[in-house]
Amino acid sequence: MGFFDNDNLHTPTADDRVDGKQKVTGTAKFAAEYVIENLVYGVLVGSTIAKGTIQSIDVKEAKNAPGVIDIITHENTIALEKFSDEKKAKEAQLGLRIFYSNEIFSNGQPVALVVAGHLEQAQYAAGLVKITYSKAAHVTNFTAAVEKEKTTKYEEDKTRGDANAWKNGTIKIEQEYAQPVEVHSTIEMHASIAVWEGDDKLTVYDKNHAVKDVQGTIANAFNLKKENVKIQAEFIGGGFGSGLRVWPHTFAAIIAAKKLGRPVKVTITRPQAFTMVGYRPQAWQRVAMGAAADGTITGAVHEAITNTSAYEAFGENSTGITRTLYNFTNLQTKYKTLSLNLATPIWMRAPGEATGSFALESAMDELAHALKMDPVALRLKNYAEKDIDSGLPWSSNFLKECYQTAATKFGWEKRKQEPRSTKNGDWWVGYGMGVGTWGAWRLKASARGKLDSNGNLLLQSATSDMGPGTATAMVAIANNVLGIAKEKIKFQLGNSTLPDAPAQGGSFTLASVGSAVNDVCVAIAKKLFTIATETETSFKEVKFEDVIFKDENLSLKNNPSVIISYTQLLRNKNVTEIDITQASESGDESKKYSFNSYAVHFAEVHVHAYTGVVRVKRFVSCVDAGKIVSEKTAASQIKGAVVWGIGHALMEEQQIDHRYGRIIANDFAGYHIPVNADVPEIDVTFVNKPDPYLNAMGSKGLGEVGLIGSAAAIANAVFNATGKRIRQLPITPDKLI
Amino acid sequence: MINREEKELPVGSSRRDFLKKSAALTAVAVIPAAIDTAAKQRLDEKYAYQLEQMPLSIEINGVQKKFKVDTRTTLLDLLREELHLTGTKKGCDHGQCGACTVHINGKRINACLTLAVMQNGNKITTIEGLANGDELHPMQKAFIKCDGFQCGYCTPGQIMSAVACIAEGHAKNEEEIKEFMSGNLCRCGAYNGIANAIKEVAQ
Amino acid sequence: MKPFIFLKAADIKTAQTGYKKNAASQFIAGGTNLLDLMKKEIALPGNVIDINQIAIKEIKTDTASISIGALALNSFVAEHAEIINNYPLVAKALLAGASAQIRNMATASGNILQRTRCPYFYDVAMPCNKRQPGSGCGAKEGLNRMSAIFGASENCVAVHPSDFCIALAALDAKVVVQTDVKESSIPFKDFHRLPGNTPDKDNNLAKGSLITKIVIPKNNFNKNFHYLKIRDRASYAFALVSVAVGLYIEGGKIKAATIAAGGVAHKPWRLYEAEQFLTGKTPSEEIFKQAAAIAIKNAKPLQHNGFKIKMLQNGIELALKNAMA
Repeated sequence: MGFFDNDNLHTPTADDRVDGKQKVTGTAKFAAEYVIENLVYGVLVGSTIAKGTIQSIDVKEAKNAPGVIDIITHENTIALEKFSDEKKAKEAQLGLRIFYSNEIFSNGQPVALVVAGHLEQAQYAAGLVKITYSKAAHVTNFTAAVEKEKTTKYEEDKTRGDANAWKNGTIKIEQEYAQPVEVHSTIEMHASIAVWEGDDKLTVYDKNHAVKDVQGTIANAFNLKKENVKIQAEFIGGGFGSGLRVWPHTFAAIIAAKKLGRPVKVTITRPQAFTMVGYRPQAWQRVAMGAAADGTITGAVHEAITNTSAYEAFGENSTGITRTLYNFTNLQTKYKTLSLNLATPIWMRAPGEATGSFALESAMDELAHALKMDPVALRLKNYAEKDIDSGLPWSSNFLKECYQTAATKFGWEKRKQEPRSTKNGDWWVGYGMGVGTWGAWRLKASARGKLDSNGNLLLQSATSDMGPGTATAMVAIANNVLGIAKEKIKFQLGNSTLPDAPAQGGSFTLASVGSAVNDVCVAIAKKLFTIATETETSFKEVKFEDVIFKDENLSLKNNPSVIISYTQLLRNKNVTEIDITQASESGDESKKYSFNSYAVHFAEVHVHAYTGVVRVKRFVSCVDAGKIVSEKTAASQIKGAVVWGIGHALMEEQQIDHRYGRIIANDFAGYHIPVNADVPEIDVTFVNKPDPYLNAMGSKGLGEVGLIGSAAAIANAVFNATGKRIRQLPITPDKLI
Repeated sequence: MINREEKELPVGSSRRDFLKKSAALTAVAVIPAAIDTAAKQRLDEKYAYQLEQMPLSIEINGVQKKFKVDTRTTLLDLLREELHLTGTKKGCDHGQCGACTVHINGKRINACLTLAVMQNGNKITTIEGLANGDELHPMQKAFIKCDGFQCGYCTPGQIMSAVACIAEGHAKNEEEIKEFMSGNLCRCGAYNGIANAIKEVAQ
Repeated sequence: MKPFIFLKAADIKTAQTGYKKNAASQFIAGGTNLLDLMKKEIALPGNVIDINQIAIKEIKTDTASISIGALALNSFVAEHAEIINNYPLVAKALLAGASAQIRNMATASGNILQRTRCPYFYDVAMPCNKRQPGSGCGAKEGLNRMSAIFGASENCVAVHPSDFCIALAALDAKVVVQTDVKESSIPFKDFHRLPGNTPDKDNNLAKGSLITKIVIPKNNFNKNFHYLKIRDRASYAFALVSVAVGLYIEGGKIKAATIAAGGVAHKPWRLYEAEQFLTGKTPSEEIFKQAAAIAIKNAKPLQHNGFKIKMLQNGIELALKNAMA
């Protein structure tokens, strides 16, 4: 039994979030908001050169400033043994080894932590730290570096079939696409409060969505027993990947707290959020495709280069989507990274695919245009009946249904094939579409379930909720399996002392942790059943399959009047609770099937003929993410992802002044993310059919897939509106005027 | 109100010379003898800090409060760091995100862009003061119902802004709501839910 | 923020006395830009004098003009019936700026005194002659997509960020200023200045003097007007280019025209030649097109802001067209 085979499960719930009240009343506590006795404030000072060495740090004036307690630099830090071996530090994911040496790898690199009794004092003194540098020549210009790199050997070069087959097409396209650095820009700025208890116990209140990974990294770096490191991250003000690792500011807080023997809080500033907690790397891509006159694609090539830092490798699967989305029997994909004097990037919502899909889905639109073919028809013509990359059959694939549903809802049939053919007043009107796919995974996860004598169910797992509504979905699963009222179920997350769970990322939380919750609830059900057979004569000869769990009672399927409450069962057995911790993982189904979610996006944009301003007027998405557990939160995730698509397509761009190797306009006035007025009503439909193999719920995950292909849909609509193909994001008014 | 002195005392020698540099003292024509003595005895931090503070009396969520603050303390940092009213959020500290939106005398403002000392005598309402006891404000209920948030971080600012948006008469239609709510960023992209919640309450 | 002494002044005299106590005094009203600058340690005042209590918040009208108190909030001005009815360009411009929250804090005088948003000005690690005279202009050969196409100098290519000021420039407002001894009035076109060799000076307001009001003469631009703001997102962003136009139409002819542009220069930029061209003509899309072409004649692009010339040209044409709609 489990989620999927229980009778009352087939309608997804549209419940309010279980933590909604805390969030709307301001009582939800985020990392920087814990009240800690004796707390002092740390403010980081960033380097002002992109490469070189620190010659001297003059802290005299800063140290004399009111309230300053200490200033930590590479000259007086606590030596961390784990930092001393560069190779091991890299393996341990320690990142930038803060305060380790006088070496500078990127502009804005944290080089000093000023600690003071009050925030204002630390902020002021941070500006008084005087650092002299010895500059070395830096490289931050990705576009220039790519020119040299794109024709030389790639780190990854995969060919299936004939790499040159695209040239055999009657119609060919070959284009390059560019995307700038994008920044997660979570509204909550990253913060850590480090509290030592003696020399060997540490608690960190931290903004991350990987409490177990963070616990492991910190324990390793500071030579502590894992169980002596407690990570608390119950509420996270957005993450999108930026909370998947330990960043330098967290190390700084821990080091300072250790050195000073008192709790230290370090909150980065908004400008520091552009240099200290990762970003989506800049990308250059080339796509070449050829097709027969009927639209059958003869072959394709997809090359991608993204940047990493000068001190760590970071790559993403930018060409992965091209390997699976269409029936490309002849395909070459190439990928490599190049090092720049920037900080290390990190996964950012739909890493790889968000970037790759812009190139692939733009190129598909270009090909459709060249073929004078409807873009949906071209995609259907090249529909992949199986995963030709792995050779495995799809576990489930309702992509065709997505095309159909979304196209109908959108009114795609009204689209004009010829660009620049519809005008409404001063606005050019265009329709565009794009497709996304994202792998569905189920990782090993554990959950604890504790049913008490009042019938309350407590569930625990060291997963996170950076916004998708993890606990809401988990409570829905438990409610479905055990028939306990949702108000009586509590799900705890975001703390490293809880049972193991993977980081929140990759859209696999529901499939992974949801399975553990399902399994632990099934285990509780079995335990209840066993007690019933032992203590209730009417259940003595009954089989597990013959009972149902509903309304906090166990009863016979064929005779509902034979019924016993869970609490009575506990009393029968004379126990106060049932307490089970259960690990859950996939079987060998991953070897038999290819698991993927899909999204099809349709956009209507208006482009102003005079000003070049683009407005997204309508957006329709249909998503195959398997069975939907919590419809309201699921729809919100897709809508949110589409808002990211709008940002990606139209405005997000981190600017770098290469003369200084320095990021400029590093705030929300300079780096634009969409505001309410940029976003139309987004129409989301789910296919809502279960995946039969991935997990008991039949759910595939949907955090990323809604973003993938959405920026291309907008860019393609801009082309349809104006006849201008913008291959360099973002599509700001200057590019269309 | 927490005792700020307690936080100051362990600071130690780093502030020994502070009296001589204190900005506050430049305003005092003659240094009182007691302070001068204290300075010589290296006890100056305590006095200097007192001198730097300004008395402040404001009404927060219906309760009149009096305290002393650093002149540099923004209303936002006063709320979050001193009063632990952390429902008001810091998202940029420069008036570019709206997460710190509170009401001053009924009007929505960004708490990060005003000094606490400028608010003497004013009435401030934060998200903690919006509900009537356990009974949520209609806007709070509507945000839950319409799923006007995901991570919840920008939410208090959105709600404070939304309540004001209606009170100002700027919720006549969807377009107006979106425009007048554009001072509140939401990176989760819950804008549809936010606009719907406001539409619902405005009706 | 650097420590400072905070003083409150209930009248102009007290404010000015307080101002003189410190060489680096600064008046504070809304604080929406000043606090920004103080946090970044671009502004380092020794004395901060809160002038919010001074009774210069009213809007008063007479037969010849409207007078906006220096401390009238942007939201108050934008929603004032007299402004909406007779000076609608002002209301439209104000509502195009910032956010509802900031408009509830920012004052009329603070708005016109706000400093540039050039990113080089805002980063103390970057050269900027406006922030630190002699350090160089980071934007001139840097990322100058937002920079000026008119009136820039070797030393500074920054633009004035206000929307309100574009409308005030278009409507020939006056800034009334109180110094120690006297009240004087500065025509709006002379209030802000071009950067020249002293880009650290944004305007011609004498040190220590206080703006008491902004006076807009009665005009005939309340029927055919338009404020157009072109920006990178739909709201809450500074202008790439903004345009304020007013046409006084009588007997089917343009009796008077006013055109001012924002986002293009160190000060609100009036386009007198285009105005003159329009005067006396019958409004048509064709003459609007010609006026727009005249308007951009002297524009000089930098490496990344050449688009602003076309954008301004189109913007003027569109705004004129919309003013007649």
